Amino acid sequence: MKRYVIVWLCLLTIVALEVAVTLSHPPAGWLLAGLLMLAFIEAALGLLYFMHLKYERRSFMWSVILAVVIAIVLMDHFWLDAFRLLHQRISAP
Amino acid sequence: MFIVADAATFAALLFAYGYERVANPDWTRPFSFWPSITNGIVMTVVLLTSSLTIIAAVLAAQAGRKTSALRWLGATMLLGALFAALHLREWIVMIGDGWRPFRNPLGGTPLVGATFFSITGLHLLHVVTGVVVIGVIALGYRRGRFEPGHLETVGLYWHFVDLVWMFVFPLVYLMNMR
Repeated sequence: MKRYVIVWLCLLTIVALEVAVTLSHPPAGWLLAGLLMLAFIEAALGLLYFMHLKYERRSFMWSVILAVVIAIVLMDHFWLDAFRLLHQRISAP
Repeated sequence: MFIVADAATFAALLFAYGYERVANPDWTRPFSFWPSITNGIVMTVVLLTSSLTIIAAVLAAQAGRKTSALRWLGATMLLGALFAALHLREWIVMIGDGWRPFRNPLGGTPLVGATFFSITGLHLLHVVTGVVVIGVIALGYRRGRFEPGHLETVGLYWHFVDLVWMFVFPLVYLMNMR
């Protein structure tokens, strides 16, 4: 149980970091990148420890990680609509 | 497979939202630090804590401590219900301020309300469903119909709901703080 409490504390710390990053009011693009990076670290901790992926067979663990990476790359780079963003400026407040 | 399919659904919604959010010059940010973001922080702590309590329930069940497992399941349900209540309070305040899925009272794009209500609504539906399912599993476990393995399975679903919120809170709330 001690291990899970440590992970829980780490997750709370990441939430605090996310709030601190937001309060520094960076531009929208930088804020999105920073928050996404912290959210992925948080999700990785949740997946590895709370959902026990770390204790599964190595082949299963890596196949899940590979599938997630492929899905993210597909969504972010290969959806046709995503290319429109390349021609748009990040203009949101 | 259910969790993978559900993850793909939320990922598609969040990706679509992300593109709309950063590319839309007409975007308005509805949330102030107090009370909206503070409420979101409390909701996040509540949900993260509920993940810890369901782990305690699974560990107690695996160790054969039935009463303790049931108590932890009860605590998880309470935290889930608290999260839903805080979320509904947030919705009621926003609706009172004139926000609708297709109306923005601040005068910007209505996509702000559309994405907020659809993404958080789908997540809230998952939380409420999770609370009900944990209740059903807890009752069955008390009567001896379910085993610790069933608790572990429902625990995986609950962690997934928590995991989705790890993206919803920064992207939907923090990205829209004034």
